[in-house]
Amino acid sequence: MPSTISRRDFLKVGGTAVGALLIGQFIPPQVAEAARASGLLDATNSGYISSMCEMCVWRCGLLAKVEDGRVVKLEGNPDHPHSRGNLCPRGQSGLMTTYDPDRVLIPLIRVGKRGEGLFRKATWEEALDLVARNMSDIKQKYGAEAMVFSSTHNLSQPLFENLLYAFGSPNYGTQRSLCFNAMIVANLMTYGMEEPARIYDDKLSYILLTGRNLLEAISTSETHDLSMAIDRGAKVVYLDPRFTKTASKATEWLPIKPGMDLAFHLALLNVIIGEDLYNHSFVAWNTVGFDDLKKEVSQYTPEWAAPLAGISAETIARIAREFAAAAPHALAHNGWRTSNFVNSFHTQRAIGILNALAGNWGVTMTDGGSEESASLGQPPQPPYPRISALRLDGVPWKYPVVPLKIGVFQELRDNIVTGDPYQAHGWFIARQNPAMSLPDRGRTLEAFGKMDFITTIDIIMNDTAWFSDVVLPEASYLERYDPLMPIGDKIFIRQPVIEPQGEARSALWIYKQLGERLGLGDFFQYTDDQDYLRQQLAPLGVRLEDVRVKGYIGLSETPHASETSEPGWNTPSGKIELYSDTLSRVGFPGVPTWEEPPQPAEGQFYLLTGKVAQSTQFGSQNNQLLHKYSDEPRLWMNVKTAKKLGLADNDLVEVTSTVGRIHIKLEATQAIRPDCVYLTPGYGHLSKGLTTAYGISASDSDLHVTYTDPISGGQALSQTFVTVQKI
Amino acid sequence: MKLQITLHPRLHLKPLVVILLSLMGIAFVIAMLRYANGIGAVSNLSNSYPWAFWISFDLFTGVAISSGAFLMAAVVYIFELKEFRPLVRPSVLTGFLGYMMVVIALLVDLGHPERIWYMMIHWNHTSVLLEIGICVMSYLAVLAIEFAPVVFEGLKWQKFAHFIHRFIMPFVILGVVLSTLHQSSLGSLLLIQPTKLYPLWWTPILPILFFISAVTIGLSMIILESSLSSRYFHRGLEIHLLEKLARVIPVVLAIYLVIKFSQLTIAGDLKYLFTGGLMSVLFLAEILIGAVIPIFLFSIKRIRQSAKGLLLGAVVLLLGMILNRFNVSWFAVQHPDPLSYMPAFMSNVHYLPSLPEVLVSMGIFSAGILAFGLAVKYLPVFEHEEEGRKTTS
Amino acid sequence: MKKNTHNAFLFDAFRCIDCRACMVACSVENKIPMDKTRIWVAGVGLKGEFPSLERASMVYHCMHCNAPDCLSACPVGAYSQRPDGPVVYDPKKCIGCRYCMNACPFGVPHFDYDKGLIDGAFIDKCTLCTQRIDIGLEPACVATCPTDALTFGERSDLLKQAHGRIQAHPDRYVDHVYGETENGGTSYLILSQVPFGELGLPALPSRPVKEVSEEVMGFTIPFALGLGTVLTAVAAGVHLYNQKKEADTLKLETSEPQTEETI
Repeated sequence: MPSTISRRDFLKVGGTAVGALLIGQFIPPQVAEAARASGLLDATNSGYISSMCEMCVWRCGLLAKVEDGRVVKLEGNPDHPHSRGNLCPRGQSGLMTTYDPDRVLIPLIRVGKRGEGLFRKATWEEALDLVARNMSDIKQKYGAEAMVFSSTHNLSQPLFENLLYAFGSPNYGTQRSLCFNAMIVANLMTYGMEEPARIYDDKLSYILLTGRNLLEAISTSETHDLSMAIDRGAKVVYLDPRFTKTASKATEWLPIKPGMDLAFHLALLNVIIGEDLYNHSFVAWNTVGFDDLKKEVSQYTPEWAAPLAGISAETIARIAREFAAAAPHALAHNGWRTSNFVNSFHTQRAIGILNALAGNWGVTMTDGGSEESASLGQPPQPPYPRISALRLDGVPWKYPVVPLKIGVFQELRDNIVTGDPYQAHGWFIARQNPAMSLPDRGRTLEAFGKMDFITTIDIIMNDTAWFSDVVLPEASYLERYDPLMPIGDKIFIRQPVIEPQGEARSALWIYKQLGERLGLGDFFQYTDDQDYLRQQLAPLGVRLEDVRVKGYIGLSETPHASETSEPGWNTPSGKIELYSDTLSRVGFPGVPTWEEPPQPAEGQFYLLTGKVAQSTQFGSQNNQLLHKYSDEPRLWMNVKTAKKLGLADNDLVEVTSTVGRIHIKLEATQAIRPDCVYLTPGYGHLSKGLTTAYGISASDSDLHVTYTDPISGGQALSQTFVTVQKI
Repeated sequence: MKLQITLHPRLHLKPLVVILLSLMGIAFVIAMLRYANGIGAVSNLSNSYPWAFWISFDLFTGVAISSGAFLMAAVVYIFELKEFRPLVRPSVLTGFLGYMMVVIALLVDLGHPERIWYMMIHWNHTSVLLEIGICVMSYLAVLAIEFAPVVFEGLKWQKFAHFIHRFIMPFVILGVVLSTLHQSSLGSLLLIQPTKLYPLWWTPILPILFFISAVTIGLSMIILESSLSSRYFHRGLEIHLLEKLARVIPVVLAIYLVIKFSQLTIAGDLKYLFTGGLMSVLFLAEILIGAVIPIFLFSIKRIRQSAKGLLLGAVVLLLGMILNRFNVSWFAVQHPDPLSYMPAFMSNVHYLPSLPEVLVSMGIFSAGILAFGLAVKYLPVFEHEEEGRKTTS
Repeated sequence: MKKNTHNAFLFDAFRCIDCRACMVACSVENKIPMDKTRIWVAGVGLKGEFPSLERASMVYHCMHCNAPDCLSACPVGAYSQRPDGPVVYDPKKCIGCRYCMNACPFGVPHFDYDKGLIDGAFIDKCTLCTQRIDIGLEPACVATCPTDALTFGERSDLLKQAHGRIQAHPDRYVDHVYGETENGGTSYLILSQVPFGELGLPALPSRPVKEVSEEVMGFTIPFALGLGTVLTAVAAGVHLYNQKKEADTLKLETSEPQTEETI
């Protein structure tokens, strides 16, 4: 019988606020005024104001319901393509994140030792001066490259990058190598774009999902699309070592052995090519390298793949034939978090190629567009200084095909520790939690130890903030402006619907303030947030007030750089590259190739991690509303395996890897392969400033070993093996 | 030399009294905690078990064991079987204190005890509980009136005593009507849970069955109370009267069994008699202990005519019938299945009364016993009104 | 703004992914305290043995029955039903007896066991977001559901839709719309790919559960009057009989030989 957090446990943990969500702040006066002027708010200051969610990177459009000048509810914006009127549980809980009692609302300067959590309050003046001074000192003493900048995908990233490049450091840490490097780099090599878009229409009849637990890792609109496809009767084949909620809805769930997705997909290619099921004309016209591919995959028969993947040869062959038969209304989803094994890059290449062989371009796949709209303007600024220093993350000298904007974050962290090729001294972190997200937390803390100075911008005392020297309070997404977001032919606005509490400020403001103090004011030529947005809109001849009203504007002219009438791919050959010359030139296989993944020894398990619908990565666990409806995060283990080890449901167990160990409660379940264990990431916070989340469960980052795929730079998150024993 | 506890040179208390007072004190404190911190602070009641020990014990059992009062009042005043007069006052006192305990218990169990009087002004006429509420409160007033003469006589206010005694009839009739209504309605409470109460118990004629069993419970309570009073207060035992009551019990029980098993047969539920697992065991136990064995015992003249026999029979019947009340209100009622697997706001799908929960009921019960003892000590409970004063109707 | 004559929900268990957005939305919309909820997950969840597994769950809340048992049972009439469907609870009348919790065949009403006299302990349950539906919006849970597992509208339309879905996918659903007839019909209709019992729903007849109770209650007053009359008659009869008997006995005892007359 599955059990969850009991009411008594909850009250113990979340000591504060057992009352209802306490709503306090008013809408910022300017926003209210504009909304009233355009009729969005009535005389009682009630109505709806449009903005965007930030509870995950899908960024659904939302409508903030305002009553008497206060936001009381968030609804999905029907006009926004990512939400289409719905919000997932995290989106609905957004007010709780903004009103979290643990918010950091004033700049903090550390007084105790790092990790003690002793801070004193400071003014923005003092804090910003301190940060700028330290950053300048480090630049002077060790060079700009000694300053590491890291941030996770967010709308203010352009300004973050502005600061980074203007400062002159090459060291840019994003979370991408912990997530989708394999997918991005594979797509770049195959299609010349980071991620093609997927088209879910009424004709889509076959979907192959490799991981991508869309029904738990909710991307609202795409989750809706997949669900509707299933509802319509489309066949969904889903590969996952766990019986996730997506598995429960899929037509066919294949509990594939971890690391063996590659074998499965290579065998699919083998059958489709071998049995001549591919789209000849499409391949002839739009791809290069077919012969090399054919030669390579001829050895990867279903019979070869079956014992590796744990899926019968008949099934593999059948799925290949079904997929081909459904083409072009078939889709092999390229996944998202694809940093699983070192061989994941090849898996992603195989998936991309599978789609090409099905000839589904323009039918179920199309150009993804870019988040940087060519049409938006920006403030004037001088050219960036030339950066000559090597990057600490080995790009491109160790990782020749990893894009600079993506990098290899875990390598960056490792070389902070090793000091090779040089020692970094400062770390500037914005909207990111490397203390939880990077594998091998012990190592990350070691890296912190090498820092002379750590600054974090965050809305709450998350773990990385807990270890910082200065914490700068950012306004939450409901309290601030961010640069405009283009999606397709529309441009969306994020505008504050809640007056920033305390001293919290937008990132736009923080970066400008810092920039000016660092003598880089020329790179931040806007007076305030709204001025920045106006400058973005300038080339379009659109007023900010107009965008506010609907929450977006449609672009009638100025097509996207990527929106052209004929298919074209931004690869060296201009075609879909089944064989990549680029890869072969730097010594990597030009076609997807089998690479044997490591396997756990006797008594060891694959350590799996994944998503749940009620949390986002490492930052949402303190949200009391989400906590209320979350299952207790325990370690999943197959019932039979547990029995063999003498373990029972709810036992406290010790899980050990080569880099660390954790204590966690066991969940004996049928829903996982016998050779795997699973835990939900994002728990085991070190920060006591997270009064709801602190003390719950344990962190996967304590266990994960750092393995980097040399081609895509992706961290191999599922390659860590652990032992489990009773305490 | 009787054992006494000396708390103070002037205050000599028997050990039993000290125990009763202590239990009352504890119950009071727990009740205060309940008022300050909510029902959940002192009990294991939950969304899965909104009614459990308190309702089964204080309400269902408490009302049932107070059923002797209307029986004796009817026997003596309506059917004018004057020989049973010695039994009237004690049974009215038992009834009065019984219902007082019910009301006090409700004051602890209700979410809003300060709104208990809402049942007098906000009426939902389809609600069984409303009927019970109104009846209980009204009948408490009737019992007070029926017992008032005893108090007045104790205070030597003979005129008031006689005044009330003259107009006792309408109140007796009202009392019988009210008692019949709510003794049966306690069974009707379960009519709205046909899918939750196990088929061995649920039937549309539950109220009839409850009334019939209430009659037997009342008669047994009179026997029990007389036996205990005779022992504790050192008086004689009116065996000849009790024997006559005991003669009636097997008849009523037989009628009860016939109706019950006919009902089961007609409803096609006889099959659960042995196939229901724990439910079957509970049902057979209540039938055996509450009906079959007492029929047997009370059919034997020798047992009927002995003090020990009477007491034994009464106790056995009461245990069996109290089990019936507990079965109908708690044990045989299906509570939400642990199918809801998140979140555990419907916690406590397994329930056992907590110690404070039980202590509250014990304390209230102790208060009843203590009040009974005080009444017996200071009021002419065991004397009937002076001979020669007859009422005229 | 079109108003429904009978507001209802349709829940499709096949579409539900157990994300709980509906629950968060409800909590925010209705300002529910952190330790309470008006919606919860029910169902057996995971079934089977690896790798033959199934999962089903449902979003459980007030069924807004056509013949509400809570309404029938509450002694002080704290429940009422709007003509367009929603069953409404009024805390101002509530005495906290919790009989409604017993009466509800679905175990819906929840009670504040942690509130004392000062804070006030009340029942809580889904209100069908009347504050929203009265201004033309959908209930909060429905509005946010990412997979349209929850839909809302006119009951008769939803029934048609539900049956339509069953027909369109005959292998998928149990051929029954729960709530169409159960307990006399409810306003929360459910489609399921597994037996309804596995979703935590009780098997109920179409005859409303409250009917027997209400029928019996209907007898109360006539019965009381009748019994009172009978008892009065019996008492009077017995008394007169006894009086006569006493008078006869007295006459016998006190009568003198009728010497005057015999002479």
